[in-house]
Amino acid sequence: MAEEAHRHTVARPSRSRWIWLGAGVVGLCGLGALRVVLDSAAGFSLPNQVQDLLTLSISVVVESLPFVILGILLSIVVQVWLPDGLLQRYLPRNPMLRRACISLFGVFLPVCECGNVPLARGLIVGGFTVPEAMTFLLAAPIVNPITIITTHQAFGFDDGILVARVIGGLAIANIVGWLFSLHPRQNTLLTPRFEAECRRPDDHDHALTRREKSLDIFVREASVIMPALLIGALIAGAIQVAVPRDVLVTLGTNPLWSVLAMLVLAFVIAVCSNVDAFFILPFASTFMPGSIATFLVFGPIIDVKMLAILRTTFTTRVLVQLTVVVALLSALIGLVVNFVA
Amino acid sequence: MGLVVAATVWLAATNQLVLYIHPRYIVFTIVMAVLALILVIASVTGRFRHEDDEAPPRGVPRVLSILALVIASALALAMVALPPATLTSATASQRDINSTSVGPQTQSVSDAENAPADAFSNFTVVDWASLLRQTVDPGFYEAKSVDVVGFVTPDADDPQNVFYVSRFVVTCCAVDAQPAGVPVYLPDWSSVHAADDWVRVTGEFAVNGSDRSQQPLAIVPDAVTAVEQPSEPYLY
Repeated sequence: MAEEAHRHTVARPSRSRWIWLGAGVVGLCGLGALRVVLDSAAGFSLPNQVQDLLTLSISVVVESLPFVILGILLSIVVQVWLPDGLLQRYLPRNPMLRRACISLFGVFLPVCECGNVPLARGLIVGGFTVPEAMTFLLAAPIVNPITIITTHQAFGFDDGILVARVIGGLAIANIVGWLFSLHPRQNTLLTPRFEAECRRPDDHDHALTRREKSLDIFVREASVIMPALLIGALIAGAIQVAVPRDVLVTLGTNPLWSVLAMLVLAFVIAVCSNVDAFFILPFASTFMPGSIATFLVFGPIIDVKMLAILRTTFTTRVLVQLTVVVALLSALIGLVVNFVA
Repeated sequence: MGLVVAATVWLAATNQLVLYIHPRYIVFTIVMAVLALILVIASVTGRFRHEDDEAPPRGVPRVLSILALVIASALALAMVALPPATLTSATASQRDINSTSVGPQTQSVSDAENAPADAFSNFTVVDWASLLRQTVDPGFYEAKSVDVVGFVTPDADDPQNVFYVSRFVVTCCAVDAQPAGVPVYLPDWSSVHAADDWVRVTGEFAVNGSDRSQQPLAIVPDAVTAVEQPSEPYLY
């Protein structure tokens, strides 16, 4: 609702904006009052399954929200507060080396995958090519310091899971970046709306101070990412309520099937890369180590929530290709670890 | 955005974030939410660039994008308007109680054998469930009194006579909640308690009297009393 309010108010004098703010606060209080009424209404309760669907979806939102906000803030820093071209200046010219460097950016950024999307969008707006931004997007959630620490806490160096995760993630990001750099028309990889945003002439902005520009980016990114996050969370919640968990767990002991089961689990579960090692730890006794590595490589890059968020930036066609390539490569890593370890 | 952030801050203020995420993320979540709230207010009152007059998409994409916005708003509204709740027994049975070993800090049999007698009354359902997975020797459980709180989930094989007193174990957020529970043998329990009721069960483990349940041991309760839902319903 607040997003709509912003869109309507941009061209109007500032008095009406205070009215919108007032309306928002009153509306919020109204909803709060409704909540109090529902709370006290004896016997009001949703059916269990609906209630759990809501609880799970809201849980995904609450868990992802801080990372999304952090991602938007960092995106603002990159676009507005860093001097123009600072990042580009120090990167090697050779595209392959350049992407390799970019895939290591994530080491300095404690942001999980959903927060990386606004940041990657910021990089594209700031002049990076699409494959470069994609390399960053795929590698950053896996090589980020928090992910490495939590994975180490959960697994130590046992069975090569941590090593497979970090090296596998970097390899996949660079391979995917290279694949998409072969595409002849890079602009067609992006959604028309985002592509138009990138081409917006820069002098448009000169009338605004940095503070105003920052707010502008915040509003724009929030109104694009938040609906996607909410829908992704709802789909993730729905799948969790619908698909019995034990179907996946019974597949866990076969080298091939357990890898496939983990791909599916990673796809539907949609938890952030910073914490997914803790999530998968209880399964470590059931599943083979390679399958765990598959989960830890695939999950941060692709899941239902991520696809919904990525769709704000890339076309459906690109996302299908991305999913297939990343799934095959992660499965390969898992199979190698399963048969070697 | 405003709605979701306001809802998060509200949840934090009423100490209900624990219904959704692990306590270790709460501080980070609150800091980010407050920052976002400041930005939301600043952007409504501040001045910023004119939105370009893009032609809205036509046909199916337009319908889809409106539908998407409606669904997203509905979830955001639900966050504010509906009372927050824990997961229910529907998810507990769907996820198969005790299907995976839970939590890094579980009890081991050798530790428990040497524990002083009064330590057992502090054991949670998760502690007992992890012991049950390691040994079902009735002698081990002799003279160890059980005192646990959890919600009621009917046993799948013998729902008349056996229920689980169960809790969810959360490692990150409610999405990854794993149900854990211990069986209670109480014939015709459903005449007094319903599924999802929070109860406190005291008693001792003994050979399960039910012939259909697959659990070899179950609590034979001295008392099953209804209690309020704890303020931290999940275990970590």
